[in-house]
Amino acid sequence: MKRLTKLRLSPAYSGFLLMMISLFAYIILRGPAAFFNINNLASLFKNYTPIILVTMAQAFLMFMGYIDISIGAQLSFANVLAVNLPTMLGVPVWLGWLLALVLTMLLASLNGLIISYLRIPALLESFAMIFVIRGINLAIQPKPGGHVDPAINRAYDRLLFGFLPTSVVILAVALLVWMLLKRTTLVNHLFAIGANERNAYASGINTIRTKVLTYAIAGLFTGVAGLCYTAAYATGNPITGEIYGLQSISACIIGGVPMAGGFGTVFSALFGISFQIFVKDSVVQVFKMLPGVYTTYWHNLFTDFIILVGLVAAIFFVRRQDKHRLAEVSAMLEKRGND
Amino acid sequence: MERIRHFFRTRQIAVALLITVFLFVLTTLINPRSLNVNTAGSILALTSMLCLASAGQTLVILTGGIDMSTGDVMSITAILTVSILHSGLSSGIGMLAAFVTAVAVGAFIGFLNGLGVAAAGLPPMVVTLYIANVVDKLQYVFTNGTPTHTSVPNWYKQLITTRFFSVLPSILIVGALVFVFVFLLLGRTRYARQLYLTGNNPRAAFLTGIRTRRLKIITYTIAGILNGLAGLIGAGNTGNVDCGTFRDMTITTIVAVVVGGTLLVGGKGSFQGTMVGALLMIVLSNGLAVLQVSDSIRNLIMGIILIALLSLYNRERSVRL
Amino acid sequence: MLEMRGISKRFGYVRALKQANITVQKAEIMALLGANGSGKSTMMKVLGGLIRADEGSIFLNGEEIRIERSNDVHKYKIAIGLQDLSLIPTLSVMDNILLGIEPRKGLFVDKKEASERIGPILSRLGITYDPSVLVSDLAPSEQSMVEIAKAIARDPDILVLDEVTASLHSHEVDLVFEELKRLKAQGKAIVIVTHRMGEVFRVCDRCTILKGGETVAADAVENFDLDDIIFHMTGRRPEAVCQDEEDQIQIHADKVPVIETRRITVVPTLKGVNFRAFQGEIVGIGGLNGQGQSEFIRSMLGDLPIDEGEMFYQGEAVRFRMPVEAVNRGIGFISGDRNRESIFPLRSVGENIFAAEATQGRWFSHLSPKTIAQYAKRVIGEYDIVAGSTKHLANSLSGGNQQKLIIGRWLSMKPALLLLDDPTKGVDIHSRREIHRILRDAAREGMCVVYASSDNEELLEIADRIYIFYEGTSSRVLSGDDRTEEKLVAAMLDVRASACPKGENS
Repeated sequence: MKRLTKLRLSPAYSGFLLMMISLFAYIILRGPAAFFNINNLASLFKNYTPIILVTMAQAFLMFMGYIDISIGAQLSFANVLAVNLPTMLGVPVWLGWLLALVLTMLLASLNGLIISYLRIPALLESFAMIFVIRGINLAIQPKPGGHVDPAINRAYDRLLFGFLPTSVVILAVALLVWMLLKRTTLVNHLFAIGANERNAYASGINTIRTKVLTYAIAGLFTGVAGLCYTAAYATGNPITGEIYGLQSISACIIGGVPMAGGFGTVFSALFGISFQIFVKDSVVQVFKMLPGVYTTYWHNLFTDFIILVGLVAAIFFVRRQDKHRLAEVSAMLEKRGND
Repeated sequence: MERIRHFFRTRQIAVALLITVFLFVLTTLINPRSLNVNTAGSILALTSMLCLASAGQTLVILTGGIDMSTGDVMSITAILTVSILHSGLSSGIGMLAAFVTAVAVGAFIGFLNGLGVAAAGLPPMVVTLYIANVVDKLQYVFTNGTPTHTSVPNWYKQLITTRFFSVLPSILIVGALVFVFVFLLLGRTRYARQLYLTGNNPRAAFLTGIRTRRLKIITYTIAGILNGLAGLIGAGNTGNVDCGTFRDMTITTIVAVVVGGTLLVGGKGSFQGTMVGALLMIVLSNGLAVLQVSDSIRNLIMGIILIALLSLYNRERSVRL
Repeated sequence: MLEMRGISKRFGYVRALKQANITVQKAEIMALLGANGSGKSTMMKVLGGLIRADEGSIFLNGEEIRIERSNDVHKYKIAIGLQDLSLIPTLSVMDNILLGIEPRKGLFVDKKEASERIGPILSRLGITYDPSVLVSDLAPSEQSMVEIAKAIARDPDILVLDEVTASLHSHEVDLVFEELKRLKAQGKAIVIVTHRMGEVFRVCDRCTILKGGETVAADAVENFDLDDIIFHMTGRRPEAVCQDEEDQIQIHADKVPVIETRRITVVPTLKGVNFRAFQGEIVGIGGLNGQGQSEFIRSMLGDLPIDEGEMFYQGEAVRFRMPVEAVNRGIGFISGDRNRESIFPLRSVGENIFAAEATQGRWFSHLSPKTIAQYAKRVIGEYDIVAGSTKHLANSLSGGNQQKLIIGRWLSMKPALLLLDDPTKGVDIHSRREIHRILRDAAREGMCVVYASSDNEELLEIADRIYIFYEGTSSRVLSGDDRTEEKLVAAMLDVRASACPKGENS
């Protein structure tokens, strides 16, 4: 019972609820047999691992009170680098990919530096950076295409031990990395900055260092997402990843990550993105069941609309939760005062 | 050095004009053939169009917000205009119907934006962006991907694109009308005074007795109406009206407004500035086209300009006093 | 051990510190005292790296040190507990106490070590609840205890506590003082900034008194008595008053007050404020800084929601939810924090003056720039504002003229009630006098003026009656002959007259 109460008070609760609703719809619509099928699950994870990782990265930044709308462009950056570096520099593929990852981290850190030193509001700065990064991406690879060793695609597709998709392993490792990071001082400091930057500074935290490092970590997750994307689609595309920026932000908000920062859990991100994924699929299924032919345009419209509604609902829900919390706290304080 | 900095900071419109002239001269030097009556007319037409599109954006940014739905509202009203004008109504009634539709649709979307920002307290960029998304998807649903008609009836097109003396496009008249409207709005109403005060210091405005929430909702609604009208006119000005035709205009309107001296944090700026900013943007894009610059460089330049503008005019306070 | 020499700091026109000094030795508890505007908080914030001094040096054990950022403070083994708390509400008590100095095992925080390290501190400070509780779930007094624990956990050689005892219950204060004595025995130097005189005599060895940004006295506590200290702080010897609040309102007995509040409570800053103000009078609100005066003014305006209590405006029960509701009923508000709350810096002088008038009337009715200019010119003439042209930007005016502008803005609206929150802070003496004159004229014409100020002289000059706030309530009301600086000062520091008959000293 105590666990459940804890969940109810957690900011991720709204995301959890929304996810459960959408998951329920998804299972019903697809049919339980289809859902619990290994191949279906494997394909789900294979396709959506990149956006999940990107949403996690966005969550880390939102914990600090920042939003990075260019994170999708950064994924494309990693993508086109992975595809082109080996041929451009004449290095073995694994090295090229490693470089792509490192360069993405550096790019993300650049964002952090600009925000820390120039003190430009994060939302606007990241919006401007989309153009810069897009320009770079187009310079590296003007048109979609490029060659990726089919072996990589197969490796990514493979089911380890017959049932575990590689992508799931990657996600699990990512989650593990964050769990480990949570035990470091960096993450504590990151939340402190999000909650009250002045107080964090007054407590002796090196705010600039923390900010840049957090951006670097987000860049790491984004870079890996880009590599997964490359492996999954076996091609390079300079601009298609940009949509991930917006999707990751809405996923985090829906999941209950407070936009001002200061607290939150990575599960908010996971719940939020799951909601978006299940809604997208459920909408398609629902339309299939309706008489008449509906194009993908209808699917897109309803998906986006439901997500907008989910967004607003999540915000109001979290606000109500705050009010309830305040009321509970006052009650608790009164009780303690009377003891 | 300090003098120059001071100049930059206080006389933004003049600076923008200087840069515009500089760019224009540069482009002509690089390609002397680009200086002709056709190009001039085209620049004027595009500038008028951009001014029209940026009018609503100016108002919204003055409140300290931002409107990411400009381009999408324009696109949807453009498509609606095209289909209404082709629907067999007589030109007079058709025009009226298209006008009313554009205003209604724009107002509705603007109102939703306003609710999201002022009532729900969501960050303007995020909420207007998501609403814009839905509007964008709506277009595809209406037209099933491709509109039946991709351009307005000829009579309308003629109306919008005729050039007097081969140079002055008739759209300039629309631009002038809009200028008069916005000028009166921003210069001669109580609403405008409250708008500027709210943008400059929302806290003080609130304490002085201004209904800041209501003001913002109205502003976004007006902006929506202006955007809708921009789509109505834009339909006539463009050769090909498709889903999402004007989507990319949003960012251009923001840059035009900011370059013209309106602060992104709100509270200071003017429509005159936006017009100069619009002119600069068109001359710049004309220049880039003449130079035949690649997509990649174009994006890079846009991004760097934005970052430079942001770091000059929009910084936050430091923690240590 | 620690010496701060010749520290000066100015904020705009205001000289917060003028060559102030303080010296603290090992194994000593020093009280840093001062009335409003004395600079004591500023001084400690300079030490803590939150404010950069314009002049002066800091010496630690004879060697000069430079404090550039709050990190340096830790390096020099100095720790500061702030009055407005440096806690992170969304983190746990444990995380907050060790924020920035978390013990590590490799890359990770060593939770076990952390627990062990804070355990003793927590128990000595009586923090018995689970340290994984979030700070936002604590009562204000508990939060202050955590702030103290945080400073102590840094194991400093020099510990500074800035007004942290203000919200503590008496048993908590006892625990804190026990701890301070313990630290003193270990040879640490301790500075406490406080306004509670009882504490000073109870636990401090020496005291340093600041007045007007300068150090005016520094000596062993035993060489002072209460009156001496207050004399140094304020230039007057205190004279406590026995009284019953109801007495002095006799002159107005038959009239309905313009504004009346009963038991106004705003958690945690206002604890039941009773207040009355009548037409034609200037009611002052005084007291040390931060005793709730500001919050009270704002609750009347409708800017701060009231938790309990009632308010009556012109005889009618009201509850303003937004300032606009109050403004529409004829209430005006003038803040001391011009930049944040009154002035529109990028707008012209004319627009600034017109701002309140701009809220009245229909939105889309015609309003020409000429109307605004004429209105503004009239106000400028009437109140003698030095402004150049009405087109100049408001931030080009001096502080005093800006404030006169704001006064003009509101007076031209002819409000029934004018609320002012320390309006002449940072304003030059000439403008200040003029503002007083303007307000007196307005009161004479029937306006009710409520004037909160941190400057005693000003209150005595201008107010017909003075309410003194102490820790969230109005502890005393002075009127008539009781309006002397000595009695004001006594009320400010909550000095009780020992010779009062029982029942009148609540």
